[in-house]
Amino acid sequence: MTPARRDVIICLVAAAALSLLPALVGMRYAITQMTVFFIWVVVVTQWNLVLGVAGIFSLAQMALFAVGAYATAMLGYYFALPMILAMPAAAAVTVAASVVIGLACLRLRGPYVALLTLAISQVIYLLVVNDTACFTNPPSGCMPFLGGVRGFSRFGDLGFRALLGSKWYIAHYYVGLGLAVLAVLFSIAIIHGPLGLAFKALRDSPGYAISRGISKFKYQLWVFGLSAFFTGLAGAFYAVQFGAVGPIVFSLAVLLFLLSMIVVGGMGTIWGPLLGAVLLMLADEGMRELGDWRDIGLGLVLAVFVILLPRGLAGLGAGLRALLARRA
Amino acid sequence: MDVIVQVVASGLTLGAMYAVSTIGLALVYGSLNMLNMAHGAILALGGYVCLYAMTTLGLPGVAGVGLAMIVCGLVGLAIYHLAARPMLASRNFETQIFIATIGLGAVLENVILRLFGPQPVAQPLNLAGAAIVGTVHIPYQNILILAVAIAMMAAVALLLNRTRTGRAIRATAQNRDAAQLMGIRIGRVYAQVLALSGALAAVSGIMISSLSGLLPNMGGDPMLKAFVICVVAGLGNVYGAVAAAIVLGLLESIIQYVLGVQYSFATLLVLVIVVLIWRPAGLFGRSQVVRL
Repeated sequence: MTPARRDVIICLVAAAALSLLPALVGMRYAITQMTVFFIWVVVVTQWNLVLGVAGIFSLAQMALFAVGAYATAMLGYYFALPMILAMPAAAAVTVAASVVIGLACLRLRGPYVALLTLAISQVIYLLVVNDTACFTNPPSGCMPFLGGVRGFSRFGDLGFRALLGSKWYIAHYYVGLGLAVLAVLFSIAIIHGPLGLAFKALRDSPGYAISRGISKFKYQLWVFGLSAFFTGLAGAFYAVQFGAVGPIVFSLAVLLFLLSMIVVGGMGTIWGPLLGAVLLMLADEGMRELGDWRDIGLGLVLAVFVILLPRGLAGLGAGLRALLARRA
Repeated sequence: MDVIVQVVASGLTLGAMYAVSTIGLALVYGSLNMLNMAHGAILALGGYVCLYAMTTLGLPGVAGVGLAMIVCGLVGLAIYHLAARPMLASRNFETQIFIATIGLGAVLENVILRLFGPQPVAQPLNLAGAAIVGTVHIPYQNILILAVAIAMMAAVALLLNRTRTGRAIRATAQNRDAAQLMGIRIGRVYAQVLALSGALAAVSGIMISSLSGLLPNMGGDPMLKAFVICVVAGLGNVYGAVAAAIVLGLLESIIQYVLGVQYSFATLLVLVIVVLIWRPAGLFGRSQVVRL
């Protein structure tokens, strides 16, 4: 069995098991949290393609997520576009935005990329928050073009509320699961495919890769464009799931939370970021009672993992396996 | 004419404040290739320690500043020993230390939040009154900030150029391996640089908070600006960073006057993005020749 086939089978088995969950667990809170978990899974698996597999230190992924969410909300709000059309349109917008960011970072290396992408996210955030001029004047009050501090709400949904009544959240659970499965399969296909090979070659030895005819220009734009599609779609689904989008999606706390998932799980591996997402969602739930201590806990987790286990849980697993193989 | 004096005066004050915190970041990057994302939290800590020393302990302002510099210097030292040193040898040091210091910064910021609460407080170290130039009022506070900033920059320049420690720091920044071969204990240099950067951050935090008030998350914005300045100048270039800080401070106050306050930071960032695309290693940075 090839590694790619093994990963696909693991993914499908896990998806089949998770699809039974709503039948077993009746608690609405748990199902909704699982839906949020699926959204984060999509984001971290795609971010991992840029950060871990291609080794480009981009922090723009949350800004792209926000672009997807805002584009969906704005298409629904201003053009009354049905969400089912607005979501893919928003994903396309996100891909375009990501390719532009990729172009901007093309000649930069390492930390310069991180700072530039952070600056870009900050510019978008400031533009949204400082937008105070009224674009339209609905009965609810002045509405800036980008939503301002309040953000958007009431821009439509996927129609499950009308169809299923109070059980709509179960339908959203399956939409989230579907998106997460597609995103994971997509990342498996990329990592095991020729594109992944090129990304890893450029990450590990740029000089050698370039001299063997692997174009940095071409593949950097590919990785930015490819990883943005599902990220934008996840943002779009986030908007639909919560029925509102505000500037909070740009906050450093959310960025930190998702970055921790990738780092704790293991950058550049297929299952690492997923594992990290599971762990941090659980830890987050566990620390919910602790209030202010939660952020301290998250910060510590991030620092301790980077310092003591730089390859994450997936790296720890690989290390143990190597140790056992040597013993045997 | 009055407007020009006013804009230049506030621009110079801003630039001087940025310069002090930027020097620390540039020194750290120059010698360790480390971007310290906990810098913003250290900035806030400096402001709060000064507040604590002056209100709760009843110390005079100078002692408050001194205490803040010592505490923040120790925090810098702790970051070196807890985070940077264990990772120095690893291949992805630059990425890892970036992430680790984001985590440590979040911890520090939330500790401050727990200790001092979320409500904004005024910085007690403040000079009342204003000098009158023609018809323009320039607060004494701004003049004090400018004077302190120039004194700090002069002190750092003296340290770097005239002392053994400074020579060791410069040698390490130029070439880590060669410095080590010449018998410089680079571990000690790193520790000194991070402690110095922490102490400078404390001064900068006190200055910023004396104008805008204390908040646990007050450091985020100045830190991003300091990074922006470092990047524009070319990471690790100390003198370039000072020049860029003054220029960006002036530019910011001009943009604030012409376009309005809410667009100043966004415009600056757009400018930086353009600079980076045009000159990937910054304005004063030399593009490195990489041997394969």
